[in-house]
Amino acid sequence: MPTPLELIKKKRAEAVSRIIGKGYLSTKRVYVGMATCEIAAGSKDVMEVFQKAVSRGLTDVYLSQKGCAGRCNLEPTVEVIEAGKSPVKYGKVDKDRAQQIIERHLKNGEIIKEWVID
Amino acid sequence: MTATPFRIIVCDGTSCINKGSRKLTALLREQLDKHGLIERTTIGLSGCLGMCDKGPILVVNPGYTIYGHVTEADIPEIVEEHLVNNRPVARLVIQEDHLYNRFFRVFGDAKFFGKQMRVTLRNCGIIDPENIDDYLSLRGYEALAKAITEMTPEQVVDEVEKSGLRGRGGAGFPTGRKWRLTAKEKTTPKYVICNADEGDPGAFMDRSAIEGDPHTIVEGMAIGGYAIGSDHGVVYIRAEYPLAIKRIQKAIEDARAHGLLGKNILGSNFSFDIEIRLGAGAFVCGEETALIHSIEGARGMPRPRPPYPAVSGLFGKPTLINNVETWANIPVVILDGANWFKTIGTETSKGTKVFALAGKVVNTGLIEVPMGTTLREIIYDVGGGIPHGKRFKSVQTGGPSGGCLPEKYLDTPIDYESLAKAGSIMGSGGMIVIDEDACMVDMARFFLEFTQDESCGKCTPCREGTKRMLEILIRITEGKGKPGDIENLERLGSMIKKSALCGLGQSAPNPVLSTIKNFREEYEEHINEKKCRAKACKHLISYEIGDKCIGCGACRRVCPVGAISGSPKTKHSIDKDKCIHCGLCFNTCKFEAIAKV
Repeated sequence: MPTPLELIKKKRAEAVSRIIGKGYLSTKRVYVGMATCEIAAGSKDVMEVFQKAVSRGLTDVYLSQKGCAGRCNLEPTVEVIEAGKSPVKYGKVDKDRAQQIIERHLKNGEIIKEWVID
Repeated sequence: MTATPFRIIVCDGTSCINKGSRKLTALLREQLDKHGLIERTTIGLSGCLGMCDKGPILVVNPGYTIYGHVTEADIPEIVEEHLVNNRPVARLVIQEDHLYNRFFRVFGDAKFFGKQMRVTLRNCGIIDPENIDDYLSLRGYEALAKAITEMTPEQVVDEVEKSGLRGRGGAGFPTGRKWRLTAKEKTTPKYVICNADEGDPGAFMDRSAIEGDPHTIVEGMAIGGYAIGSDHGVVYIRAEYPLAIKRIQKAIEDARAHGLLGKNILGSNFSFDIEIRLGAGAFVCGEETALIHSIEGARGMPRPRPPYPAVSGLFGKPTLINNVETWANIPVVILDGANWFKTIGTETSKGTKVFALAGKVVNTGLIEVPMGTTLREIIYDVGGGIPHGKRFKSVQTGGPSGGCLPEKYLDTPIDYESLAKAGSIMGSGGMIVIDEDACMVDMARFFLEFTQDESCGKCTPCREGTKRMLEILIRITEGKGKPGDIENLERLGSMIKKSALCGLGQSAPNPVLSTIKNFREEYEEHINEKKCRAKACKHLISYEIGDKCIGCGACRRVCPVGAISGSPKTKHSIDKDKCIHCGLCFNTCKFEAIAKV
């Protein structure tokens, strides 16, 4: 009989492989803030733009929602994380900015400096 | 060579400073300059990173590489090898795997997070809160498994007690002692409650914590259940937090599906489950005895203590009740250990504290800093200072139960004791920054109006006393104050503090008493000179039209009482007897011709 600690470690390994199965190791991970405050600032629209892009064939992207990181005055926020690179954090993202993040950053690798939170 | 900007964080905690960290910063600048890297490197200072035994600590971003035991001789090597040649200096790298580290791998290079330390909010903003796999992948539920496998319930209580953790709901009662008292009771069943009835105006710590990382609360409560011998947990959360409710509900269901809640958790003999109870939003239900009444289906009113809930709580049974943030600390205490936990913070207050930073500050936000961080660091380094070049006037901590602290307290390292000594309280973590445009009397009136409205009415001091205080305050702001009013407020305030039944009443006078203590001259001006220096009390100001007026007539048209007259293209004037001080003309004028005097 495995101990609870052994069981939880097994569960973690399974969780990790499920996340990887969903494309976690894709080149770009995109996190959209979806707490009440972010949603009030318009993040549902932003999420929709990313979801649409993925369903229309945007590949190599792992899209996820996230809670609030605490940057209230800059919401909605979106992070683009790539292995080996500095995570890029965008603030005040609306539908239009989301579309541009897809076109310029996700497809062409351009970091759109004016929207980056530092 | 890449042109990635670097951000180096130097730990600026007391222990690292003593070991010479500030000298390292200077040396670092020198070396960066030598290699021409100074332009694309920023150096940030952080509050204590909780690795004091390995200090001085230096973190290089991107990558969140942590260097420990750094000496002056190591700096040239770190700059040359790591920053220039992209080869981290392996002999100095320390592999710290504290739960909070992961947050900084994503956010560690942002200035806003430099002085912060995200322990309870460690997963908020980096995981999908509705996916249990995300939580499991970050050692989720490992603390619970560790407790069940390797520790007896007594050892869990010992660990929590040793950590020095204190209740984050406001009063700061030692968490370990509360657990021990409940654990020692023989009566069964026992209950575990999470108090998520967040009610302070402007506070959103608990909502964000649950919305961003609900499993942490579930895990913390399950550990609490194991420690005190309870199989039944209740999350009491207000109905106006629908998303938080949905997420904690899903977390509970997912945990059940994984055998992490319910009968025989992870194959052990320990069983524990959680149900959710919704509150209707009364402020007083954040008080533990009122909250318990509300869960029982009775009216949400407090009762005298003792007996404390530890002895006689929900349905008269021993009950362990802690706040959301306290619960979120528990997995960290178990997994990273009390010895690590107590390295963070001050002598009497260990760990970190979450604040909802709001008001007149550039970066409003949800922040978490080590205890002992000063108000100045929070407002200026994290918050980015006061916007529009205005002057700082005061900071209000602890919500309607707290007080307003003036500039002289800015360098106070915050913990439960220092804030109480300064005349405010830690509270649950609301922090409102006030600039020169705010009137302190009006501020006190606002908070008292809130508590007076939320008073449940059970005890006379709170029901009648706050009402009388509010009447005096309203009179003062309307220019009808009389000599003796201040003394009356002080007398009433101290009586209510001493005699009210629960925390709500006992703390309700705080905003008034602290503003009298720290801004007495503003009260005196209101009463004696009928003057409001911030020009915020509308009965004490009047409007005048100056020479910039071009006679456009916009003010004349918006004035609801016809107090403004003048022919087109000539300077208008206001009839002060008719004017009701509504301010519409002031807001309408495009030429800044109308002044408040």
